[in-house]
Amino acid sequence: MMKSLKALFSSDYGMLGALLFLCVFFSLVTYEQQQPVGDMGAKILVEKIREKFSEPGSVLIMGKKGTDGKAFVNGLKRRLNTDGWEVKQDLTGGPPELSKALRNTFENNSSVDLLACEQFFARLPMLENLENTSSLGKKMLVMSPASYGWPNFLKTSNLLNVANQIAVIAILAIGMTLVIITAGIDLSVGSLIAFSAVFASWTIREWTGGTEASVLGIILGCLISLMACGGLGLFSGLMIACYGVPPFVASLGMMMIASGLAYMLSGGLSIYQLPESFDWLGRGDDLAGIPNAVVLMILLYFFAHLLMSRTTAGRYVYAVGGNSEAARLSGVPVKRILLCVYAASGTLAGLGGIVMASQFRSGDPKYGLMYELYVIAAVVVGGTSLSGGKGKVFGTLIGAFIIAVIQNGMNLTGVQSYTQKVVLGMVLLGAVLLDMLKKRGWRFSS
Amino acid sequence: MKTSILFSYRLIFSLFAAYFLGCGGEGEEVGMESAEDLDSESKGIIGVSVLTMGNPFFSVIANTITSEAASHGYEVIVVDGDRDVQKQANQIDDFITKGVSAIILNPCDRISIGAAVKKANEAGVPVFTCDLKCVAEGAEVVSHVGSDNLQGGKLAGEAMIEALDGMGGKVLVVHFPQANSCQLRVEGFKEVIQIHNQRNETEKIVVVAELDGGGVRDEGYKVTEDTMQAHPDLAGIFAINDPSALGARAALEKAGKQNQVKIVAFDGQPEGKQAIKEGKIFADPVQFPDQIGKKTVELIISYFNGKEVPSEVLIPTALYTQADGLKDPELK
Repeated sequence: MMKSLKALFSSDYGMLGALLFLCVFFSLVTYEQQQPVGDMGAKILVEKIREKFSEPGSVLIMGKKGTDGKAFVNGLKRRLNTDGWEVKQDLTGGPPELSKALRNTFENNSSVDLLACEQFFARLPMLENLENTSSLGKKMLVMSPASYGWPNFLKTSNLLNVANQIAVIAILAIGMTLVIITAGIDLSVGSLIAFSAVFASWTIREWTGGTEASVLGIILGCLISLMACGGLGLFSGLMIACYGVPPFVASLGMMMIASGLAYMLSGGLSIYQLPESFDWLGRGDDLAGIPNAVVLMILLYFFAHLLMSRTTAGRYVYAVGGNSEAARLSGVPVKRILLCVYAASGTLAGLGGIVMASQFRSGDPKYGLMYELYVIAAVVVGGTSLSGGKGKVFGTLIGAFIIAVIQNGMNLTGVQSYTQKVVLGMVLLGAVLLDMLKKRGWRFSS
Repeated sequence: MKTSILFSYRLIFSLFAAYFLGCGGEGEEVGMESAEDLDSESKGIIGVSVLTMGNPFFSVIANTITSEAASHGYEVIVVDGDRDVQKQANQIDDFITKGVSAIILNPCDRISIGAAVKKANEAGVPVFTCDLKCVAEGAEVVSHVGSDNLQGGKLAGEAMIEALDGMGGKVLVVHFPQANSCQLRVEGFKEVIQIHNQRNETEKIVVVAELDGGGVRDEGYKVTEDTMQAHPDLAGIFAINDPSALGARAALEKAGKQNQVKIVAFDGQPEGKQAIKEGKIFADPVQFPDQIGKKTVELIISYFNGKEVPSEVLIPTALYTQADGLKDPELK
């Protein structure tokens, strides 16, 4: 048992085990009664109605606002109509709409045998009061689809949320992984998110048409912003590679510069004069319901994985981090590699910023605050060593998901946000501890 | 070496175990019942995401909401938006996943949060806001409860006139223009000052600068110090909240001008009230976060009862002076 566990944590993607463990764990703790929605809910409720009523009567159908509510109402109406029920009224909305509908029905002195609605309505206090006040209301039966047990965590919508919520950080973490493999660090990525979001929004607002901007205008605005972020990253790289400024200091400077630029461009306010089609990247889900940002993230990871494991450039990055002097002597273009790595980190941060701007259809200089720390945490939890030369891109993806799953799970179980910070900190330390133990052959002192 | 390995595993897993036990208890309370047994204890969950728990104003709102909702049989989950709109959007996603009956927000950004509010609209979860508004296009908020900031600003203007005792003088406004509420406060303040100036040709009150104090102590300190360089004869300061007023006060004390310059602030947080009692701040139009929380729950309950609710409810502020501070049993 001990041996197999050790083997699991020793492997390159040892954190995968930890991620699976977390998923199982949160599935267990978020097991709850779920309310069926949409057409599924209608189907379940019709079964129940058929059991309860031997012959059809009159019915009032009520669903919530939104697509699910409409699907519920339409599905129910269709099925009950074929069963011979008289559908007195069918509507979607909130409690006031339901109350009005019921009042109208009872004031006309017409009786309704059944109120078929989603569980949200069946639980409202107004229906209890109704029983006490109106004799017609007393006769009316309220039915809603029976709930079923399923973990909140494992709902498809939630799993997609988890992936969507971590997409920005995971995209940035690719660049950070490369930087950390070269034994550097890039603190500027959080500010670059803000800069990129603001700069892209600003360009679209000022130059390519604002809310009327065409798709070409949007792409142009985003490309300009990406290039600017790449340029800023390149500038940090120049400081580090050519002038020997420590990465910590160079990127700290860039962090302030980028944040300041974002505030200057936006005047401290969010820029929201953007066209609706700008949402596509951040809010669209064209591929089988998977959010576009997540698809982009997965593509980037595959690309980065190929780059790092199959190309000379990838091997060079490891070589620079392992021992830069030895790499230089054996003909690796150390300076060029460092420049490229920091430019890549800047560009990816810019891309993250554009995803975020698209998610919120606005650019705000307050975006990305402290994100650099989450990004670094994802890389470290993913098993990349801060001393350089070692690390896997997919390890970082797993690290990012570990952080996302913990955050999501804690939100779902209602853990206070202060406690969440403590837990995340402990996970980070735990991951580093594991890394150390692994290196020292599972011994505490070296 | 076997013991050390064992120890390390124990350490790591005990963390998870501790966490597991902590949650297990909470999880049991969150029971959702099928429609048949409606008369069970919890009628549903209300999800609350506040702007920041770092400001006592919002924790008072959250605590009042929790206790008020509990008295109506609803359970409340409070999360901290931490001024981060992305974080708050994620929290709203999680609320929808959890199947809450209603969501209460203090939006971290009045426009950017719109996307998340629309998601809640789409899922049919009613959204209420308090203190801060959501003004995003197409995002539906059932109802908003907040302080009447315009009326509060007017009270502050009247307090400033009183503080300057009929004499005119130069006034600095320590602003926070990003917040809509602060813009209303300053608007109300300037309105009253303008009327005063029309009546008094000789003793005018002149707003010489409106500077961004960020609503925090250190920025309030800086802008006050800078303004005193340009206007050594400053007579008054209106700060849009207590922290920036206290920062301004610190700058005055350092320059030895605390008796020359009168401060009027806003909010009535405990430390602000204490400062009023000690005469460091002249007066505050105070907000009532408890009433804001209470009113919000009241609106949700009447909404659940099928009543039409107003789209906005404003709670008037009241002026808090040194006399109130001396009587206040909550102060030391």
